[in-house]
Amino acid sequence: MNKLLVSPSPHVHTSVSTQSLMRDVVIAMLPAALVSVLFYGWSEILILAVSVISCVGLEYLISKFLLKRPATICDLSAVVTGVLLALNVPPTCPWWVIVIGAIFAIGVAKMTFGGLGQNMFNPAIAGRVFLLVSFPTYMTDWTVPAGFIHATDAVSGATLLGAYAEGGVEAIKGINYLQTLFFNIGGSAGEISACALLVGFVYLLVRKVIRPHITLSIWGTVAVLALIFWAINPAKYPDPIFALLTGGVLLGSIFMATDYVTSPMSAKGGIIFGVGIGLLTVLIRYFGSYPEGVSFAILIMNATVPLINKYCHQKKYGRK
Amino acid sequence: MSKTFKIGGVHPHDSKFSRNCAIEVLPLPQTVYISMAQHLGAPAVPCVAVGDKVKAGQVIAEPAPRALSAYVHSSVSGTVKSIGPRKDIAGNNQNHIEILVEGDEWAEGIDLSTDLVTTIPTDRAEVLKKIQMGGVVGLGGATFPAHVKLNPPAGSKAECLILNGAECEPFLTSDNRIMIERSKEIVVGAAIMQMVLGGCPCVIGIEENKPEAIAAMNKAVSELGYPGISVMVLMKKYPQGGEKQLINAVMGREVGSGALPISAGAVVQNVATSLAVYEAVQKNKPLVTNTMTITGDCLPVEKQHNYLFRIGMPLSWIAEYAGGVPEGAAKVVSGGPMMGRAISNLDACTVKGSSSLLYLSEKTTKRAAQSNCIRCGKCAEACPMGLEPFLLNKLAKNGMMDELEANAVQDCISCGCCQFSCPACIPLLDTINIAKGQVLGILRARAAAAKAAAEAAKASQK
Repeated sequence: MNKLLVSPSPHVHTSVSTQSLMRDVVIAMLPAALVSVLFYGWSEILILAVSVISCVGLEYLISKFLLKRPATICDLSAVVTGVLLALNVPPTCPWWVIVIGAIFAIGVAKMTFGGLGQNMFNPAIAGRVFLLVSFPTYMTDWTVPAGFIHATDAVSGATLLGAYAEGGVEAIKGINYLQTLFFNIGGSAGEISACALLVGFVYLLVRKVIRPHITLSIWGTVAVLALIFWAINPAKYPDPIFALLTGGVLLGSIFMATDYVTSPMSAKGGIIFGVGIGLLTVLIRYFGSYPEGVSFAILIMNATVPLINKYCHQKKYGRK
Repeated sequence: MSKTFKIGGVHPHDSKFSRNCAIEVLPLPQTVYISMAQHLGAPAVPCVAVGDKVKAGQVIAEPAPRALSAYVHSSVSGTVKSIGPRKDIAGNNQNHIEILVEGDEWAEGIDLSTDLVTTIPTDRAEVLKKIQMGGVVGLGGATFPAHVKLNPPAGSKAECLILNGAECEPFLTSDNRIMIERSKEIVVGAAIMQMVLGGCPCVIGIEENKPEAIAAMNKAVSELGYPGISVMVLMKKYPQGGEKQLINAVMGREVGSGALPISAGAVVQNVATSLAVYEAVQKNKPLVTNTMTITGDCLPVEKQHNYLFRIGMPLSWIAEYAGGVPEGAAKVVSGGPMMGRAISNLDACTVKGSSSLLYLSEKTTKRAAQSNCIRCGKCAEACPMGLEPFLLNKLAKNGMMDELEANAVQDCISCGCCQFSCPACIPLLDTINIAKGQVLGILRARAAAAKAAAEAAKASQK
């Protein structure tokens, strides 16, 4: 008779794996990546390629030669970091700056802590913030390169948020929200099309990769706070729709704040985490020295996750 | 919208391939080996000697004194050949009585006819006695002696009898078949238990993936016309048939941690147990037969069966009779794929609670290599007890017993949802089960110490 396996139950397993989850995240980012390539052209393709290749390559080299253990690149998490990092830099960013960003993201923020699942901070955000602080010139050069689609009324030289930070409400008067929903030229690749990002969000929800708590609580907090400021002084502060649709709120809330490893485990914790990000984002935007605060907000809230996990548990059956 | 339990749960493919296979009666083997450990609690004590002639349905072992235990009956007629240790499905030695089969003569007073007896007896004590003497145990998995559960302690009152026809484990179809083929007997059994429990209403919970069973049970309920019995259609979600989950689905209540279902006013019995109660009370027939499914993902549907078996039949004999262990089988499971036990010894024999021979292919059942926890929280989302398996796993690995207790590892029902849903293939339940055993040991020791201290204080006062 053939030999039989013996092991404790359960004897069956779901088809969902770390790899399939990461693949879904990559698929969800494709619309945004595609839009960025259409509008920013060859330079964006180069950025995506350099970012993904350096993230995956670095993880392989570090696992193999520094940590001397089997490389885990097949789980696709380095690909996710690579695409995210690419979507987080301006289209004119030189390739070597991106490589440095990848070194920080994968080498410092991820592998130093023990690789996937062990890192405290989202690697892509850590990489972006590192570049923003180290290479502010490259990271805020919003010259629009030639894309495959030529948008005639493209705003060059500043993002909408940047324009607002410099010129106040006057500078952003008359923007067309319908247009920002589809293509908002200027800014990092991932900020172009709110629509493409939302498609990715819906995909992640439908595939049950993420739960909506974190993303929705960020949106809610940003919207409510922006509404309060706008209601108090509409001459100084922009309206809530502007606050939601511009900058990295959508990109950050959908793809980076929802990172499993660096967000709280429970739904309750996720809401606290999301509210914290929304709050910090608005405060940094309106009172800080940077025009955009989403990255810093996520990074700061990443640090609070162990604390949130300690105090937020889900309701247990048969217990108060 | 069909009802279900509130917290957690998973949706494995239900794989009920053998759902349309009518129940077939297995022929008799030459020898049966009847285990003394067929129920939760202490093994029964043999009351026959080697060389004795026994008839089917005759008591061959009595409950162990002063412990939770149950009667065991001979399932065949013949001669007792030996009494001694023999390995069960997990390879552990248990005391077995070996009987050489001679003919098929049943003990006196057992009604083998198929006539339906619908008159419900009214003497509660006598009915309970019959259930106990019939060796009836819960057939939903735990094999808890039925007469104990049907006799709630003083001060507690049954508000609802729940018949468990959820059969939420993938692959298994024996409950489905008995609900279709023996629906009336099950309903009479339910009416008997209602009487025993003092006339509380009875809800028969069936998952929506068994429409024929739902129709048959509804028909039986309305034709027999007993008051207070109804069928409730439940959503397909595992572990719907878990006692605590079923109570939540049907009554909307939760059983407190560490408490018995009766504290929430519920008594849960499997539909197969109800059938056994019917046979024991109305037909005087003790529990020596049950229904099992021969199924699997590497077995063609025409080779799948639902069998009426007698206890003590060697599994290898049943497997041979059904056409042998299929070529692609990598694991044989007794029970469902979520909570069943992998069989390490096919020479083991059927017991009262046997429910299947499940052949799983290597592709379906072989564990993948585990990788890092990605803190996705899917285990916590899946846990029907609202626990956090990722945390318990970590605490268990570090031997943190106090924290494990504070995080309710002792509430785990070992349903396997966490391990099933882990994308990193971490064997969460393996670790948690070990930790649960340790924490339960600590809790028992603490309770015993508290009791001893209380008694000592009482003695010193005197």
